[in-house]
Amino acid sequence: MSLTTDFGPDSGGRVKGLTIVKPIVYGNIARYFGKKREEDGHTHQWTVYVKPYANEDMSTYIKKVHFKLHESYANPNRIVTKPPYELMETGWGEFEIVIKLYFHDPNERPLTLYHILKLFQSPVTEGTPPTFGHALVSESYEEIVFQEPTQLMQHLLKNVRPITNGHWKHDTDFEEKKEKTLERIIEAQTKVRTEISELKEKLSLAKETIAKFKEEIAKLQNSSGNNIMM
Amino acid sequence: MADILDILDIEQPATEISRDSIIHGDKNKKKYVTAKAVKRPEGMHREVFALLYNDNKELPPLLPTDTGKAYKQTKARLGMRKVRKWVWAPFTNPARKDNAVFHHWKRASDEAKEYPFAQFNKQVSIPSYSESEYNQYLKSEDWSQAETDHLMDLCQRFDLRFIVIHDRWDRAAFRDRSVEDLKERYYNICSILSKVKTNPWSNTVTMVNGEKRVYHYDAEHERKRKEQLRRLFDRTQEQIDEEQMLLAELKKIEARKRERERKTQDLQKLISRADSGTITPSTPTNHNTEPPGTPSSMAANMRRHDRKLHKKKITTQQRPMRAVENVTVEWSGIKFPEARGTGVWLRSQRMKLPPGVGQRKTKAIEQELRLMNIDIAPTPTEPICKHFNELRSDLALSIDLKNALASCEFELQALRHQYEALNPGKTLTIPASICNTSVDSDSKPVGEIIDVVGSPGAMNTTI
Repeated sequence: MSLTTDFGPDSGGRVKGLTIVKPIVYGNIARYFGKKREEDGHTHQWTVYVKPYANEDMSTYIKKVHFKLHESYANPNRIVTKPPYELMETGWGEFEIVIKLYFHDPNERPLTLYHILKLFQSPVTEGTPPTFGHALVSESYEEIVFQEPTQLMQHLLKNVRPITNGHWKHDTDFEEKKEKTLERIIEAQTKVRTEISELKEKLSLAKETIAKFKEEIAKLQNSSGNNIMM
Repeated sequence: MADILDILDIEQPATEISRDSIIHGDKNKKKYVTAKAVKRPEGMHREVFALLYNDNKELPPLLPTDTGKAYKQTKARLGMRKVRKWVWAPFTNPARKDNAVFHHWKRASDEAKEYPFAQFNKQVSIPSYSESEYNQYLKSEDWSQAETDHLMDLCQRFDLRFIVIHDRWDRAAFRDRSVEDLKERYYNICSILSKVKTNPWSNTVTMVNGEKRVYHYDAEHERKRKEQLRRLFDRTQEQIDEEQMLLAELKKIEARKRERERKTQDLQKLISRADSGTITPSTPTNHNTEPPGTPSSMAANMRRHDRKLHKKKITTQQRPMRAVENVTVEWSGIKFPEARGTGVWLRSQRMKLPPGVGQRKTKAIEQELRLMNIDIAPTPTEPICKHFNELRSDLALSIDLKNALASCEFELQALRHQYEALNPGKTLTIPASICNTSVDSDSKPVGEIIDVVGSPGAMNTTI
């Protein structure tokens, strides 16, 4: 690529005041075999993945993705260098997968994501992960924020190609989820704020009452003292 | 043909296996190898060939070869030389002046050396002075010359062992003096003489950077030190116990003081936060009842002060109350760290609670969130992060306020009891609205609220 000569890793500093946000989706999809496999006791086939939220090719700025699996897997450290950033495995248990994203720009430190591999449907929870046929999907939305990227990185981030010409969509409707969550939070906020103002009123009333009570007690103590004097 | 025989181990050539043949046999073999040196096959790289056939075509020996010349085991050689004789010989110690002769064992070979331990007989050089010098410099009101002479003599005799000198002090001729007095006089003389005379007295004067340094004896300090040690030693068991007790008390008092200070700070923080009022509906009403600024803090001060007294009274009577008060200690909203510098970060990192927030508070906030059906790790977009953080900060404040209110209520109850005790048959009324918010409802039995007579304004009439 000729652009690397124009924008070498050391060319120029960071672009002041610029923030680029790249939303991503990470998680896993899991399929039950239907029975326990004889030879190793595995019950599920699963795929853990990191993919862009928008239809764009992340490989322009992502150098590699490192999936760290449970110690019991052979070579638990798996590295994927080109899209799709995913890893297919089989297993019988859920565990935390550590996902590290490395960037082409050597100035940027790798980012770490944590995903709990999900194989089994939780019994009763609201917002259960969607299922497709026999597959179970557990994925999360995340935003990578590039604060004042270097010129090289800016170039890489701005020139992303679409991955597919077709329709790019996700199993989870994050737009709806975002909207609902925000709504609910703002609603709760108003509620809590009214509660706070009520509490404050009560607290100041309580303080006043305490002062009054003390006054009364002081009066009483003085008068009783006088009585004894007399 | 010989190679094949070697490989298949069919017939051993004439040499029989002995240690010697294994270790020293390589010479014959070497000839054999060089004679039939393997040629590098065509096309094979030199490096690869070298791995297969190096110069020394030997495999490591299978038997341990400890008799070889390469590794010699050194052994102690006993009885190789003639025995040297020991003799029971007399000797004199030059350190002794009485020419006493003792005997000891020594080698007959090493003759006539001076007794080696004599060198450890170090002599202290004690300064001397003439009559005139004494009269000129060393006169003292407290010390006569005879006494001084006696001291110097004893110093010389006992090598400055002042405890011994003190013991041998001629109490018949001179008055009794303490070890410190003796030392003081002696070192004083030394320092005066070293200043006057050119000859430095080795033990009291040292040269540091070409500068004379005289040992200075601080008699007063020494006396105090010994007195202190004596007192420490003479303590009775009761005194020791008392001291321990007092120290423990002091620790307690300091801990209480710190706690009070922390409470004060927390309260101040809470008040300033509550007064700055980010919330629109509450601010006007709040200001009606309590003007901003100094009055509120004054009230807080008053309250704090009262509580202190109050607490003192209570702790003397009943202990468990303190535990109740401790619950209300921590309060403040949450300050999330400000926007960070350059670099890549994840939006969800913004939603991490700062480390200052305690476990209990985190739990309480999460509980509240669950009650309101909000995910404790919501989808991280910028607006959600912002509002979610604000919400949690508000929740923290609300929890604190609830706790503060509960402690106020508790205090009110205590005050009322106090009032009732002072003025039997009468009571004070706690505004109903305060009681209702109590966090733990079990702390106030319903019976206590029943005797609410009227509004706080009516109190004066009831009294």
